[in-house]
Amino acid sequence: MKLHIKVDPDLCIGAASCVTIAPETFQLNEENKAYVLDHGTEPTPRTYERVIDVTEEEKENLILAAQSCPTLAIFIFDEAGVQLFPDL
Amino acid sequence: MRYVIVGGGVAGTTAAEALRKRDAKSEITLVSEEHHPLYSRVLLPHYLKGKVPRERVFLKKEAWYGQQQIEWLTGIACEHLDPRNQFVGLTDGRELPYDRLLVATGGEVRTVDADLRGVSYLRTLDDADHLAQILCEQPADARAVIFGGGFIACEYLNLFSHFRLPTTLFHRGAHFWTRSLGEEAGALIAKHLTERGVELHTRTQFVNLLGESELTGVVTSQGEHAAHLLGVGIGTSPDFSWLKAAGVDVGAGVRTNAFLETNIPHVYAAGDIAEFFDEIVGRHIQAGNWMNAMSQGRAAAHIMSGEREPFHLVSSYATNALGLEIIFVGDTLKDAADEVRVLGSVHALGVTQIFVRQGRVVGGVLIGRNQDRAAITKAIQEQKTASEFEIC
Ligand SMILES: Cc1cc2nc3c(=O)[nH]c(=O)nc-3n(C[C@H](O)[C@H](O)[C@H](O)COP(=O)(O)OP(=O)(O)OC[C@H]3O[C@@H](n4cnc5c(N)ncnc54)[C@H](O)[C@@H]3O)c2cc1C
Ligand code: SF4
Repeated sequence: MKLHIKVDPDLCIGAASCVTIAPETFQLNEENKAYVLDHGTEPTPRTYERVIDVTEEEKENLILAAQSCPTLAIFIFDEAGVQLFPDL
Repeated sequence: MRYVIVGGGVAGTTAAEALRKRDAKSEITLVSEEHHPLYSRVLLPHYLKGKVPRERVFLKKEAWYGQQQIEWLTGIACEHLDPRNQFVGLTDGRELPYDRLLVATGGEVRTVDADLRGVSYLRTLDDADHLAQILCEQPADARAVIFGGGFIACEYLNLFSHFRLPTTLFHRGAHFWTRSLGEEAGALIAKHLTERGVELHTRTQFVNLLGESELTGVVTSQGEHAAHLLGVGIGTSPDFSWLKAAGVDVGAGVRTNAFLETNIPHVYAAGDIAEFFDEIVGRHIQAGNWMNAMSQGRAAAHIMSGEREPFHLVSSYATNALGLEIIFVGDTLKDAADEVRVLGSVHALGVTQIFVRQGRVVGGVLIGRNQDRAAITKAIQEQKTASEFEIC
């Protein structure tokens, strides 16, 4: 399935919890903010949001990564644009 | 199985959630001295600056506890432990039997021996609400004073700068984080702050407060400083008395092995309170950051429910002081290192310290040098020797 993953750089404080849990999707840039990768690669220029194709297991792990963020800076949407995390 | 978790912060709540995920039937009780559902302490400064609304600091809703069938006792503390008969005593007089007990009580702020309207602390949501109130009440010519030289002092610096309050900062040590930083790193922070208008007093003791009911000033060993607002960030001093009385091994924190087990059978610790044996760096450390607290809560749940996996994580704390980026990774206690290597300089506006023990890289502090983070974290994780480790 496709998920839209977005980091709000204004909220991100570089705590790196997301990087620890999902290093294939999140890494820190020079400004100490998390940017989004597609399975360890960057098919398009560096960005704070990306649509990526994931398995059910990968999705679970991404939600865990988003949950681990102390500032709730990570947003996850499904293909229809419905926000999966944070819960509204 | 009956699980009792003491402390409803991120470590305790994550543990409860992970236990429920693995086991639909066990009884889980979460004893929480605070009245709020889980919230992020890390978001408190964002809330105070108006960057997120108050309701956004919460990570769980009140209804969540019931939905998860977690018995959630609020406004109640645990004050007694009987390890032989396996029960804890609560402040409301109840006794709770347990099969597995997790101590996840975090830290209580250390306070100064005086109080007036205008004095603030910054640990809990109630502290933040109180601070929000006094920030609103300030006159146009208000002055702020900060007492401390660590992470919370940085939060106060950023907060008071956001409200454009002229700020004086004093601490007892020669510079920030005296247990971790050397002179060069300390000097870089001091230079950065003084250049941005902070009046800095080092090697300065707190003496007293001035004012009738409202704060008008702070007396230190350097003299008197006018102040309407005082932010105190001088560390935490948890109450270990009930644990010590039960024979739990307590050092700087509750001592555990790599499985987060204390010396008392079926009693575990996780989060800021735990002084755990870190197999990666080879000694007991206390971490004090969000990533560690959350991961230990989850790991403790897995271990309590029967898994035998040691806790391994190289955790970090990233902050900034008036725009200067500061990152602590791994074991950053100077006294426990054989050698501390210094890269960069005040002049270059960036200083990294690398902590080496028995030839291995065990920790790093990066000031204005974010670029070193990934390499140092990896070196600690992979237990690299200092000679294998090259950083440009
Ligand atoms: C303002 C602020 C900013 C921060 N910023 C960052 C940051 O940017 N990055 C980062 O990594 N970390 C940050 N931290 C640190 C991080 O929030 C903590 O490491 C983390 O919250 C620790 O979680 P814990 O569950 O171990 O303890 P706590 O969150 O302290 O939870 C423990 C709970 O147990 C309760 N309790 C204590 N004793 C008892 C008892 N006897 N019975 C019942 N309940 C009890 C306490 O009231 C408390 O609610 C910040 C902290 C603060 C205060
Ligand atoms: S966990 Fe959150 S704050 Fe930390 S790096 Fe990831 S997005 Fe940023």
